[in-house]
Amino acid sequence: MPCPKTQHILQEYFADDLESLAKEKIESHLLVCEHCSNELESLLLTQNTLTQWKNERTPHWNRGMELFRREHQAPISGFSLWHRLQWAPTVTCFAMMLVLLLNVNFISSQEGFSVSFGSTSDDSSVIAERLVAFQEEQRLAMDALAERVEDRQVSNNIELLQTVLDQNQQTTAENLNRIYVFFEQQRLRDLEDMRIGYQDLVDNDYETIRSLQQLAQFVSYQSPER
Amino acid sequence: MSLTDEDEALIAAALNGSPLAWEKLVRRYESKIYNHGLRLMGSSSDAMDLMQEVFLGVYRNLHHFRGDAKFSSWIFRIAHNKAIDMNRRKRLMTTQTRTSDQEELDFLDLIPGETNIEPDNMVSEQQQNKRVISMLSKLPLEQRLVVELKMFQSQTFEEIANLQDISVNTAKTRFYTALKKLKVVSEKVHALP
Ligand SMILES: [Zn+2]
Repeated sequence: MPCPKTQHILQEYFADDLESLAKEKIESHLLVCEHCSNELESLLLTQNTLTQWKNERTPHWNRGMELFRREHQAPISGFSLWHRLQWAPTVTCFAMMLVLLLNVNFISSQEGFSVSFGSTSDDSSVIAERLVAFQEEQRLAMDALAERVEDRQVSNNIELLQTVLDQNQQTTAENLNRIYVFFEQQRLRDLEDMRIGYQDLVDNDYETIRSLQQLAQFVSYQSPER
Repeated sequence: MSLTDEDEALIAAALNGSPLAWEKLVRRYESKIYNHGLRLMGSSSDAMDLMQEVFLGVYRNLHHFRGDAKFSSWIFRIAHNKAIDMNRRKRLMTTQTRTSDQEELDFLDLIPGETNIEPDNMVSEQQQNKRVISMLSKLPLEQRLVVELKMFQSQTFEEIANLQDISVNTAKTRFYTALKKLKVVSEKVHALP
Protein backbone atom coordinates (compact mmCIF):
# COMPACT_ATOMS: atom_id res chain seq x y z
CA MET A 1 0.00 0.00 0.00
CA PRO A 2 1.53 3.33 -1.09
CA CYS A 3 2.44 5.81 1.63
CA PRO A 4 1.98 9.58 1.24
CA LYS A 5 4.99 10.27 3.46
CA THR A 6 7.57 8.30 1.46
CA GLN A 7 9.22 11.19 -0.33
CA HIS A 8 9.52 13.33 2.81
CA ILE A 9 10.71 10.44 4.98
CA LEU A 10 13.33 9.19 2.57
CA GLN A 11 14.51 12.62 1.52
CA GLU A 12 15.17 13.45 5.15
CA TYR A 13 16.72 10.05 5.77
CA PHE A 14 19.64 11.04 3.50
CA ALA A 15 20.01 14.50 5.04
CA ASP A 16 23.39 15.37 6.54
CA ASP A 17 22.76 16.39 10.10
CA LEU A 18 19.41 15.24 11.25
CA GLU A 19 18.16 16.42 14.65
CA SER A 20 17.70 13.49 16.97
CA LEU A 21 13.97 14.22 17.21
CA ALA A 22 13.50 14.14 13.44
CA LYS A 23 15.67 11.04 13.24
CA GLU A 24 13.52 9.25 15.81
CA LYS A 25 10.38 10.18 13.89
CA ILE A 26 11.76 8.83 10.64
CA GLU A 27 12.99 5.60 12.22
CA SER A 28 9.76 4.97 14.00
CA HIS A 29 7.85 5.49 10.74
CA LEU A 30 10.14 3.13 8.89
CA LEU A 31 9.48 0.49 11.53
CA VAL A 32 5.78 0.60 10.93
CA CYS A 33 5.56 1.43 7.20
CA GLU A 34 6.48 -1.46 4.95
CA HIS A 35 6.32 0.59 1.77
CA CYS A 36 8.80 3.17 3.03
CA SER A 37 11.20 0.60 4.47
CA ASN A 38 11.13 -1.44 1.24
CA GLU A 39 11.73 1.67 -0.79
CA LEU A 40 14.62 2.67 1.49
CA GLU A 41 16.17 -0.78 1.16
CA SER A 42 16.16 -0.64 -2.62
CA LEU A 43 17.63 2.88 -2.59
CA LEU A 44 20.42 1.76 -0.27
CA LEU A 45 21.06 -1.16 -2.63
CA THR A 46 21.30 1.29 -5.53
CA GLN A 47 23.75 3.40 -3.55
CA ASN A 48 25.73 0.27 -2.84
CA THR A 49 25.96 -0.47 -6.56
CA LEU A 50 27.40 2.97 -7.14
CA THR A 51 29.99 2.61 -4.39
CA GLN A 52 31.41 -0.43 -6.21
CA TRP A 53 33.30 2.09 -8.29
CA LYS A 54 37.02 1.36 -8.45
CA ASN A 55 39.23 4.33 -9.20
CA GLU A 56 40.82 4.05 -12.61
CA ARG A 57 44.34 5.10 -13.40
CA THR A 58 44.72 8.53 -14.93
CA PRO A 59 46.12 8.23 -18.47
CA HIS A 60 49.50 9.87 -19.01
CA TRP A 61 49.37 13.60 -19.65
CA ASN A 62 51.83 16.51 -19.35
CA ARG A 63 50.12 18.03 -16.26
CA GLY A 64 50.35 21.50 -17.76
CA MET A 65 54.10 21.44 -17.14
CA GLU A 66 54.96 22.97 -20.53
CA LEU A 67 52.58 25.86 -19.93
CA PHE A 68 53.87 26.32 -16.40
CA ARG A 69 57.53 26.33 -17.46
CA ARG A 70 56.86 28.63 -20.42
CA GLU A 71 55.05 31.18 -18.28
CA HIS A 72 57.57 31.10 -15.44
CA GLN A 73 60.69 31.35 -17.60
CA ALA A 74 60.89 35.14 -18.08
CA PRO A 75 61.77 36.16 -14.49
CA ILE A 76 64.42 33.42 -14.30
CA SER A 77 66.33 34.62 -17.41
CA GLY A 78 66.13 38.22 -16.17
CA PHE A 79 67.74 37.09 -12.98
CA SER A 80 70.70 35.49 -14.77
CA LEU A 81 71.11 38.59 -16.95
CA TRP A 82 71.44 40.60 -13.77
CA HIS A 83 74.09 38.17 -12.54
CA ARG A 84 76.02 38.55 -15.76
CA LEU A 85 75.88 42.35 -15.49
CA GLN A 86 77.51 42.20 -12.09
CA TRP A 87 80.72 41.24 -13.88
CA ALA A 88 80.65 44.53 -15.79
CA PRO A 89 82.73 46.61 -13.29
CA THR A 90 85.41 43.93 -13.16
CA VAL A 91 85.55 43.79 -16.94
CA THR A 92 85.74 47.59 -17.11
CA CYS A 93 88.60 47.65 -14.59
CA PHE A 94 90.47 45.03 -16.59
CA ALA A 95 89.99 46.98 -19.81
CA MET A 96 91.28 50.17 -18.17
CA MET A 97 94.29 48.34 -16.78
CA LEU A 98 95.09 47.20 -20.31
CA VAL A 99 94.72 50.78 -21.54
CA LEU A 100 97.27 51.89 -18.96
CA LEU A 101 99.69 49.03 -19.52
CA LEU A 102 99.72 49.52 -23.28
CA ASN A 103 99.88 53.28 -22.84
CA VAL A 104 97.08 53.91 -25.30
CA ASN A 105 96.45 57.52 -26.21
CA PHE A 106 93.15 58.90 -27.36
CA ILE A 107 93.59 62.26 -29.06
CA SER A 108 90.57 64.35 -29.87
CA SER A 109 90.97 67.23 -32.29
CA GLN A 110 88.94 69.04 -34.95
CA GLU A 111 90.04 66.46 -37.51
CA GLY A 112 88.59 63.58 -35.43
CA PHE A 113 89.89 61.01 -33.03
CA SER A 114 93.17 59.19 -33.07
CA VAL A 115 94.50 56.43 -30.91
CA SER A 116 98.10 55.36 -30.52
CA PHE A 117 99.95 52.79 -28.47
CA GLY A 118 103.11 53.19 -26.45
CA SER A 119 104.75 56.39 -25.31
CA THR A 120 104.27 59.49 -27.43
CA SER A 121 107.34 61.19 -25.97
CA ASP A 122 109.40 59.83 -28.91
CA ASP A 123 110.71 62.15 -31.53
CA SER A 124 108.27 64.06 -33.66
CA SER A 125 108.78 62.09 -36.89
CA VAL A 126 107.51 58.92 -35.24
CA ILE A 127 104.50 60.85 -34.03
CA ALA A 128 103.84 62.19 -37.50
CA GLU A 129 104.13 58.74 -39.06
CA ARG A 130 101.78 57.29 -36.57
CA LEU A 131 99.35 60.10 -36.99
CA VAL A 132 99.14 59.59 -40.72
CA ALA A 133 98.89 55.81 -40.41
CA PHE A 134 96.34 55.81 -37.66
CA GLN A 135 94.17 58.80 -38.44
CA GLU A 136 91.94 57.22 -41.10
CA GLU A 137 91.94 53.79 -39.55
CA GLN A 138 91.02 55.11 -36.12
CA ARG A 139 88.36 57.42 -37.45
CA LEU A 140 86.63 54.34 -38.90
CA ALA A 141 87.16 52.48 -35.65
CA MET A 142 85.70 55.34 -33.65
CA ASP A 143 82.70 55.53 -35.97
CA ALA A 144 82.06 51.87 -35.42
CA LEU A 145 82.51 52.38 -31.70
CA ALA A 146 80.10 55.30 -31.71
CA GLU A 147 77.55 53.16 -33.51
CA ARG A 148 77.91 50.44 -30.94
CA VAL A 149 77.50 52.97 -28.15
CA GLU A 150 74.30 54.19 -29.80
CA ASP A 151 73.01 50.64 -30.04
CA ARG A 152 73.67 50.19 -26.39
CA GLN A 153 71.86 53.36 -25.54
CA VAL A 154 68.84 52.08 -27.41
CA SER A 155 68.74 48.94 -25.33
CA ASN A 156 69.30 50.95 -22.16
CA ASN A 157 72.43 48.95 -21.40
CA ILE A 158 74.26 52.04 -20.22
CA GLU A 159 71.58 52.74 -17.67
CA LEU A 160 71.77 49.17 -16.48
CA LEU A 161 75.54 49.37 -16.35
CA GLN A 162 75.30 52.58 -14.35
CA THR A 163 72.90 50.93 -11.91
CA VAL A 164 75.23 48.01 -11.51
CA LEU A 165 78.21 50.32 -10.97
CA ASP A 166 76.28 52.35 -8.40
CA GLN A 167 75.34 49.23 -6.54
CA ASN A 168 78.85 47.87 -6.45
CA GLN A 169 81.25 48.14 -3.59
CA GLN A 170 82.77 51.48 -2.67
CA THR A 171 86.24 50.08 -3.28
CA THR A 172 85.52 49.37 -6.90
CA ALA A 173 84.35 52.93 -7.40
CA GLU A 174 87.45 54.29 -5.67
CA ASN A 175 89.72 52.13 -7.76
CA LEU A 176 88.01 53.33 -10.91
CA ASN A 177 88.42 56.95 -9.81
CA ARG A 178 92.12 56.54 -9.10
CA ILE A 179 92.67 54.83 -12.44
CA TYR A 180 90.71 57.53 -14.19
CA VAL A 181 92.70 60.35 -12.57
CA PHE A 182 95.97 58.64 -13.47
CA PHE A 183 94.75 58.05 -16.98
CA GLU A 184 93.66 61.67 -17.37
CA GLN A 185 97.04 63.02 -16.18
CA GLN A 186 98.81 60.76 -18.62
CA ARG A 187 96.54 61.86 -21.41
CA LEU A 188 97.14 65.59 -20.77
CA ARG A 189 100.90 65.10 -20.67
CA ASP A 190 100.85 63.16 -23.92
CA LEU A 191 98.60 65.76 -25.48
CA GLU A 192 101.18 68.43 -24.67
CA ASP A 193 103.93 66.26 -26.20
CA MET A 194 101.77 65.86 -29.26
CA ARG A 195 101.25 69.61 -29.57
CA ILE A 196 105.00 70.16 -29.51
CA GLY A 197 105.37 67.41 -32.10
CA TYR A 198 102.90 69.13 -34.35
CA GLN A 199 104.70 72.44 -34.00
CA ASP A 200 108.00 70.79 -34.99
CA LEU A 201 106.31 69.15 -37.92
CA VAL A 202 104.86 72.43 -39.11
CA ASP A 203 108.27 74.19 -38.70
CA ASN A 204 110.12 71.45 -40.59
CA ASP A 205 107.71 71.52 -43.45
CA TYR A 206 107.56 75.30 -43.63
CA GLU A 207 109.69 75.34 -46.76
CA THR A 208 107.47 72.79 -48.51
CA ILE A 209 104.42 74.84 -47.69
CA ARG A 210 106.15 77.96 -49.06
CA SER A 211 106.82 76.13 -52.35
CA LEU A 212 103.21 75.01 -52.53
CA GLN A 213 102.05 78.56 -51.95
CA GLN A 214 104.31 79.76 -54.75
CA LEU A 215 102.96 77.06 -57.03
CA ALA A 216 99.42 78.04 -56.18
CA GLN A 217 100.20 81.66 -56.87
CA PHE A 218 101.77 80.66 -60.16
CA VAL A 219 98.72 78.62 -61.16
CA SER A 220 96.31 81.40 -60.28
CA TYR A 221 98.55 83.85 -62.10
CA GLN A 222 98.67 81.62 -65.19
CA SER A 223 94.99 80.71 -65.45
CA PRO A 224 93.52 84.09 -66.53
CA GLU A 225 95.88 83.97 -69.59
CA ARG A 226 94.40 80.66 -70.80
CA MET B 1 51.22 18.96 8.45
CA SER B 2 47.61 18.36 7.43
CA LEU B 3 46.60 17.66 3.85
CA THR B 4 45.08 21.14 3.63
CA ASP B 5 48.30 22.74 4.89
CA GLU B 6 50.27 20.70 2.38
CA ASP B 7 47.96 21.90 -0.39
CA GLU B 8 48.51 25.49 0.66
CA ALA B 9 52.27 25.08 0.86
CA LEU B 10 52.29 23.59 -2.64
CA ILE B 11 50.10 26.39 -3.96
CA ALA B 12 52.40 29.03 -2.47
CA ALA B 13 55.46 27.37 -4.00
CA ALA B 14 53.72 26.99 -7.38
CA LEU B 15 52.78 30.66 -7.32
CA ASN B 16 56.46 31.38 -6.72
CA GLY B 17 57.25 29.58 -9.94
CA SER B 18 58.19 26.11 -8.71
CA PRO B 19 57.31 23.58 -11.43
CA LEU B 20 57.85 20.74 -8.95
CA ALA B 21 55.26 22.12 -6.55
CA TRP B 22 52.78 22.52 -9.38
CA GLU B 23 53.37 18.98 -10.55
CA LYS B 24 52.93 17.63 -7.04
CA LEU B 25 49.70 19.56 -6.61
CA VAL B 26 48.37 18.18 -9.90
CA ARG B 27 49.39 14.63 -8.98
CA ARG B 28 47.48 14.88 -5.71
CA TYR B 29 44.21 15.66 -7.44
CA GLU B 30 44.41 14.30 -10.97
CA SER B 31 43.06 10.84 -10.13
CA LYS B 32 40.12 12.30 -8.19
CA ILE B 33 39.31 14.70 -11.00
CA TYR B 34 39.80 12.11 -13.72
CA ASN B 35 37.49 9.58 -12.05
CA HIS B 36 35.03 12.35 -11.30
CA GLY B 37 35.09 13.16 -15.02
CA LEU B 38 34.63 9.50 -15.98
CA ARG B 39 31.48 9.26 -13.89
CA LEU B 40 30.13 12.58 -15.12
CA MET B 41 31.07 12.43 -18.78
CA GLY B 42 31.13 8.68 -19.32
CA SER B 43 34.17 8.34 -21.56
CA SER B 44 37.88 8.40 -20.96
CA SER B 45 38.48 11.03 -23.64
CA ASP B 46 35.84 13.37 -22.22
CA ALA B 47 37.16 12.74 -18.72
CA MET B 48 40.64 13.70 -19.93
CA ASP B 49 39.29 16.82 -21.61
CA LEU B 50 37.45 17.80 -18.46
CA MET B 51 40.47 17.11 -16.27
CA GLN B 52 42.71 19.25 -18.48
CA GLU B 53 40.19 22.08 -18.48
CA VAL B 54 39.90 21.84 -14.70
CA PHE B 55 43.64 22.06 -14.15
CA LEU B 56 43.97 24.87 -16.65
CA GLY B 57 41.26 26.67 -14.67
CA VAL B 58 43.12 25.94 -11.46
CA TYR B 59 46.37 27.23 -12.99
CA ARG B 60 44.78 30.42 -14.34
CA ASN B 61 43.04 31.20 -11.04
CA LEU B 62 45.57 29.93 -8.53
CA HIS B 63 46.41 33.46 -7.39
CA HIS B 64 42.72 33.97 -6.61
CA PHE B 65 42.69 31.01 -4.22
CA ARG B 66 42.45 32.57 -0.79
CA GLY B 67 42.55 29.56 1.46
CA ASP B 68 39.29 30.40 3.21
CA ALA B 69 37.85 27.33 1.48
CA LYS B 70 39.61 24.02 1.23
CA PHE B 71 41.50 23.55 -2.01
CA SER B 72 39.60 20.29 -2.58
CA SER B 73 36.27 22.18 -2.41
CA TRP B 74 37.64 24.87 -4.66
CA ILE B 75 38.86 22.45 -7.32
CA PHE B 76 35.54 20.59 -7.32
CA ARG B 77 33.73 23.89 -7.76
CA ILE B 78 35.85 24.50 -10.87
CA ALA B 79 35.19 20.92 -12.01
CA HIS B 80 31.46 21.40 -11.46
CA ASN B 81 31.35 24.50 -13.64
CA LYS B 82 33.56 22.99 -16.32
CA ALA B 83 31.38 19.87 -16.45
CA ILE B 84 28.29 22.02 -17.02
CA ASP B 85 30.09 24.02 -19.75
CA MET B 86 31.30 20.87 -21.41
CA ASN B 87 27.90 19.25 -21.30
CA ARG B 88 26.38 22.35 -22.89
CA ARG B 89 28.97 22.26 -25.66
CA LYS B 90 28.34 18.59 -26.28
CA ARG B 91 24.62 19.25 -26.52
CA LEU B 92 25.21 21.90 -29.14
CA MET B 93 27.43 19.53 -31.08
CA THR B 94 24.92 16.67 -31.12
CA THR B 95 21.51 16.72 -32.67
CA GLN B 96 19.91 16.25 -29.31
CA THR B 97 17.76 19.32 -28.72
CA ARG B 98 15.94 18.36 -25.56
CA THR B 99 16.48 20.68 -22.62
CA SER B 100 17.41 19.39 -19.20
CA ASP B 101 14.02 20.48 -17.88
CA GLN B 102 12.32 18.26 -20.40
CA GLU B 103 14.64 15.46 -19.43
CA GLU B 104 13.76 15.95 -15.83
CA LEU B 105 10.05 15.91 -16.60
CA ASP B 106 10.15 12.62 -18.42
CA PHE B 107 12.81 11.07 -16.24
CA LEU B 108 10.76 7.95 -15.64
CA ASP B 109 10.18 7.48 -19.33
CA LEU B 110 13.20 5.30 -19.77
CA ILE B 111 13.77 3.87 -23.16
CA PRO B 112 16.61 1.34 -23.18
CA GLY B 113 19.55 2.59 -25.21
CA GLU B 114 18.44 6.19 -24.94
CA THR B 115 21.55 7.73 -23.57
CA ASN B 116 23.84 10.55 -24.53
CA ILE B 117 26.80 8.36 -23.72
CA GLU B 118 27.61 5.68 -26.25
CA PRO B 119 28.75 2.39 -24.74
CA ASP B 120 31.57 2.37 -27.32
CA ASN B 121 33.04 5.42 -25.67
CA MET B 122 33.38 3.69 -22.36
CA VAL B 123 36.88 2.48 -21.89
CA SER B 124 36.46 1.38 -18.29
CA GLU B 125 38.09 -1.98 -17.99
CA GLN B 126 36.09 -2.90 -14.95
CA GLN B 127 32.57 -4.16 -15.53
CA GLN B 128 31.53 -2.56 -12.28
CA ASN B 129 32.62 0.89 -13.40
CA LYS B 130 30.89 0.39 -16.72
CA ARG B 131 27.69 -0.32 -14.88
CA VAL B 132 28.02 2.75 -12.70
CA ILE B 133 28.68 4.92 -15.73
CA SER B 134 25.76 3.37 -17.58
CA MET B 135 23.46 4.06 -14.64
CA LEU B 136 24.63 7.63 -14.10
CA SER B 137 24.38 8.39 -17.79
CA LYS B 138 20.62 8.05 -17.55
CA LEU B 139 20.46 11.05 -15.23
CA PRO B 140 20.28 14.65 -16.34
CA LEU B 141 23.54 16.39 -15.51
CA GLU B 142 22.14 18.35 -12.55
CA GLN B 143 21.06 15.14 -10.84
CA ARG B 144 24.22 13.31 -11.85
CA LEU B 145 26.23 16.09 -10.25
CA VAL B 146 24.27 15.89 -7.01
CA VAL B 147 24.80 12.13 -6.78
CA GLU B 148 28.48 12.54 -7.64
CA LEU B 149 29.10 15.26 -5.07
CA LYS B 150 27.06 13.61 -2.36
CA MET B 151 28.23 10.04 -2.75
CA PHE B 152 31.72 10.31 -4.19
CA GLN B 153 32.91 13.65 -2.86
CA SER B 154 31.05 13.44 0.48
CA GLN B 155 29.77 16.98 0.17
CA THR B 156 26.89 18.21 2.30
CA PHE B 157 23.58 19.27 0.79
CA GLU B 158 24.41 22.79 1.87
CA GLU B 159 27.64 22.74 -0.15
CA ILE B 160 25.82 21.24 -3.13
CA ALA B 161 23.01 23.80 -2.85
CA ASN B 162 25.60 26.56 -2.77
CA LEU B 163 27.37 25.13 -5.81
CA GLN B 164 24.22 24.71 -7.90
CA ASP B 165 22.65 27.93 -6.66
CA ILE B 166 19.57 26.16 -5.31
CA SER B 167 18.00 25.72 -1.86
CA VAL B 168 19.12 22.93 0.44
CA ASN B 169 15.68 21.39 0.11
CA THR B 170 15.89 21.37 -3.67
CA ALA B 171 19.28 19.70 -3.38
CA LYS B 172 17.80 16.99 -1.16
CA THR B 173 14.89 16.50 -3.56
CA ARG B 174 17.27 16.30 -6.48
CA PHE B 175 19.27 13.61 -4.71
CA TYR B 176 16.20 11.60 -3.80
CA THR B 177 14.76 11.89 -7.30
CA ALA B 178 18.08 10.82 -8.77
CA LEU B 179 18.33 7.82 -6.46
CA LYS B 180 14.82 6.72 -7.38
CA LYS B 181 15.66 6.94 -11.04
CA LEU B 182 18.92 5.09 -10.53
CA LYS B 183 17.03 2.36 -8.74
CA VAL B 184 14.78 1.87 -11.78
CA VAL B 185 17.78 1.95 -14.09
CA SER B 186 19.77 -0.53 -12.00
CA GLU B 187 16.87 -2.92 -12.02
CA LYS B 188 16.93 -2.74 -15.81
CA VAL B 189 20.67 -3.18 -15.87
CA HIS B 190 20.35 -6.16 -13.53
CA ALA B 191 17.68 -7.59 -15.79
CA LEU B 192 20.08 -7.55 -18.75
CA PRO B 193 21.63 -10.93 -19.58
ZN1 LIG C 1 5.62 5.34 4.80
